[in-house]
Amino acid sequence: MIAPGTAQGIRTRTEREAVSAGLSVNVWRRVSQLVYDGVGIAVAVVMLFPIYWMVITAFKPGRDILTLQPKWFPAPFTLDNFKDAIARPFFLDDVRNSVIVVAVMLALALVVAFLAAVGTARFGFRGRTAFLVMIIGVQMVPLNALIIPLYMLLDSAGQIDALPGVIAIYLAVVLPFMIWTLRGFVANIPVELEESAMIDGCTRVGAFFRITFPLVGPGLVATAIFGFIQAWNEYIIAYVLLSSPNNQTLTVWLASFTTNHGPEWGPLMAAATLTGLPVVAFFLLLQRYLAGGLTAGAVKG
Amino acid sequence: MNLRKRWVAGLSVTFALVAAACGSTSTGSNNSANQTGTLTVWLMNGSAPDSVVNETNADFKAKYPNVTVKVEIQQWSDVTTKLDTAFQGSSPPDVMELGNTLVAKYAAAGALLDITGQKASFDNSSTWLQSLTDSCTQGSKLYCVPYYAGSRAIIYRKDLFASAGVSVPTSMDDLLTVGQKLMTAHASDPNFSALYFPGKYWYAALPFIWDFGGDIATQSGGKWSGALDSSNAEQGLTTLTNLVSKLSRADKTGDEAKQDAAFAQGHIAMIIANGWEVGVILDPKSGNPALKDQLGAFPIPSHTQGQNAPVFLGGSDLGVAAHSKHQDLAKAWIALLTGNKHMAEMATVGGVIPNTTSMLNLGTGINATFYNAAANSKFVPNSQNWASVESANVLPDMLVKIFTKQQDIPTATTAASNQISSILNGGS
Amino acid sequence: MGLAITAPDQGPALYSRLRRRLFPYALITPSVAVIGGILAFPLGMLIWISLQHYGLRELINHQGEWVGLGNYQKILVDPLFHAVIVRSLAFTFTCVSLTVALSTLIALLLLKVRRAVRVLVMSALVFVWATPVVVTVDIWQWMFDYEFGIINYLLTQLHLGNFIHHNWFDNPVQGFAVIVAIVVWYSIPFVTITLFAALLQMPSDVEDAARVDGAGSWRRFWYITAPILKPIFLIVICLSTIWNFGIFNQIYILLNQRPSSDYFTIAIYSYRESFGVTQYGLGAAIAVVMVIVLVIVTLFYVRETVKVAEIS
Repeated sequence: MIAPGTAQGIRTRTEREAVSAGLSVNVWRRVSQLVYDGVGIAVAVVMLFPIYWMVITAFKPGRDILTLQPKWFPAPFTLDNFKDAIARPFFLDDVRNSVIVVAVMLALALVVAFLAAVGTARFGFRGRTAFLVMIIGVQMVPLNALIIPLYMLLDSAGQIDALPGVIAIYLAVVLPFMIWTLRGFVANIPVELEESAMIDGCTRVGAFFRITFPLVGPGLVATAIFGFIQAWNEYIIAYVLLSSPNNQTLTVWLASFTTNHGPEWGPLMAAATLTGLPVVAFFLLLQRYLAGGLTAGAVKG
Repeated sequence: MNLRKRWVAGLSVTFALVAAACGSTSTGSNNSANQTGTLTVWLMNGSAPDSVVNETNADFKAKYPNVTVKVEIQQWSDVTTKLDTAFQGSSPPDVMELGNTLVAKYAAAGALLDITGQKASFDNSSTWLQSLTDSCTQGSKLYCVPYYAGSRAIIYRKDLFASAGVSVPTSMDDLLTVGQKLMTAHASDPNFSALYFPGKYWYAALPFIWDFGGDIATQSGGKWSGALDSSNAEQGLTTLTNLVSKLSRADKTGDEAKQDAAFAQGHIAMIIANGWEVGVILDPKSGNPALKDQLGAFPIPSHTQGQNAPVFLGGSDLGVAAHSKHQDLAKAWIALLTGNKHMAEMATVGGVIPNTTSMLNLGTGINATFYNAAANSKFVPNSQNWASVESANVLPDMLVKIFTKQQDIPTATTAASNQISSILNGGS
Repeated sequence: MGLAITAPDQGPALYSRLRRRLFPYALITPSVAVIGGILAFPLGMLIWISLQHYGLRELINHQGEWVGLGNYQKILVDPLFHAVIVRSLAFTFTCVSLTVALSTLIALLLLKVRRAVRVLVMSALVFVWATPVVVTVDIWQWMFDYEFGIINYLLTQLHLGNFIHHNWFDNPVQGFAVIVAIVVWYSIPFVTITLFAALLQMPSDVEDAARVDGAGSWRRFWYITAPILKPIFLIVICLSTIWNFGIFNQIYILLNQRPSSDYFTIAIYSYRESFGVTQYGLGAAIAVVMVIVLVIVTLFYVRETVKVAEIS
């Protein structure tokens, strides 16, 4: 793999040579563009291979799954694994629960985290350092070590086997990360932008919402995706807290594909593909905010 | 726990917010004594067929029309974490299925209700499988009801045996001879295993240790001492190691989870397996139904010609939580599921070995071999700390070290024995 | 110092000044309430349990036996614990360096590629990220499987040696190489996407100016891009350190929930002591020590982060 930094270095050098040789710079632009694109595709392929393997396995009939000579394509092709997965009891309940948990958690988390991010990035106040240190420190505690105390806490509050308990825990676990990351994004936006808007007649709040808020867009999206994925994929807390089958989340449903005699590969891969789809959809929905455009013009001004 | 109460008060606001956001889900449990309320039952994923559970519930409903039964299926991954937290909580499930090697730990910790007095009220309690009854017994008190059992035998390919000109072995030496002939017949197949034996498969290693008179640990005067380093146990392990090195190409550090799928691929002549694994091998989705007529089973042979080695009796028990608010209902439900009617269904529909010797004749065809094996079975040391020995992977680690030749047998068994002694005698 | 001081003073009225004083506190109150409300009791409980002998019986009765620092003394003289700490630190260092280096390269690459490729790479990253850890580890385990694994098959087919029936996990060094690969693979999406989002935020005219001045790409990155991205880098490095030091699922699932002690990292050790052998006191003590070690390790980053926060 060619590191992009080096590739670029080569380009500038070769560009100079090219010019001296009297060749068109345009040709070299195009060549280096091809190199970049090639490396990009290579990165995508390497990253995607395990996922590819999961998805094609989901489409393979059972006997083609564990073979000594791996089959690269799902031929013959079958939808049986998906049918099998969806037909498992409580699939729809668990989808609904996961959506509720993640949606409620994320809505609360984004608001709360954004407020705190602005508070710590734009204002100096006594206790800010302490707050930041707490935000970082909280993340260092392994969640697995807190299973029992968290259970005790929710037990006393009557929130065992109930979604609000799980939502509350996810919220507390994801928040520190979200605040911290968002704070970084807010801090990266020059205060001068807001100030110049204020000189132009905006109020402080108006300047903030017209200038800073849109610029934090990519940060908000990146953090939201992170929170979504964390909550969507969490297993042990959901499993320990939620016992009624119609009250569980998708990851607990996923665990039901692993029996006491190993995983049922085909249905598990189909189920995993289904579980991953909403996250990908969520991302695709938001990805244009990440892909730029929003920021480019604004900051230059 | 005053500290806790105070926190809870402060928390209520947060919860109210969250609860309002997604519809309230209050879990009020009715506590009245006259046979009403909700009985919560935890069964493990894949233990009882749905039809058996449904019929049991229907029968229960007929007797207790005002009681709701909630059967919740639990997953295997991290189940002890779930059980630990549930038992310490304020409302544990009333009935729970526990793997038979886990009961001692929970019974000793006071998590399970002592049901010694009601033993006679359960069907077949005088003919329960001895190893299962042992697993439910702690210091002469009964803490659970045997549910079902699983015992292992060797599943083999009749066609491969026939084409290699060998027949079912009748002793361990014979097993080696038969295996070597199979290996020779398939010398050109680099993936062939005559006897597929994954390195961590300690349940399948126990018969070899026991057959030579060895044991995992022995108890005298209330003190345990690890016995894997006895010469008898080492003899069994030597025999097994020889078999594995000559007959198996399975992963020496792997476990048995994949063995049925591997067997269905057709490069294996024998595996040591539970009776229900026949169904996994023949499963049209993950296995190979075409092998149906080619499968046979025979008991793990003893080193003594014509006898069989004792096998490990796996299985599950049903216990009542000590903190259950519906203890009588819980016992009544267990009595129904383990009663004659539904236990017979467990055997005929579910294909597992029933909890009583009086039903061992229900095993027919290939199942008969496994049912009979249950009659000559043994169990792990019946100590509250045994579960910790399992968690510490003492036996799998020892086997892996021996099979991969990282350690010789005396070194590995001595280390394992010492570790077992210290864990079994350690307070918990 | 913050904007409150540098911004032109608009309202001299006392109440408005007071309001501005209180405003930041109002902003952080909800998060303090949520985090404190949910996590303060469990954290306190964790420390409380770590000071007691707390087995299964004690857990069920909610009544431990006070042993003071006994659990800590026990683990501090435990040679396995020392090995686990060293192993966790080495593992963390390896994973974080690889993750951050590769992610930075990919993020920079994303700025250069054409739109279609960028969407492809981003989608690939998100697919990876979107798949539950549990499932990704299942897939990897299967890809590295001893007999059915595609990696062994592929390496053999490519004539890189005979990998038929190669066991990746009987040698812990090799096993950890596989685990590092899996962890880095799974960490790259988050770090890359975060860095990329930050790069997009970066004012491009600064770089343009540097380019006009004839600065090479490496110098441009080092003197212009990197300093601007410093806060994000600090966050990413610090978070990666925290996460990788607490690595659990990858190893636990990869080794069939029964890792041998050669593969213990600190989080696995703590979990094993708690739920495996029901020594909750010891498990809690290990978790507390884990946090202390993490604090020491990340002290530099935390200080830098907070310092950066002061400047902005």
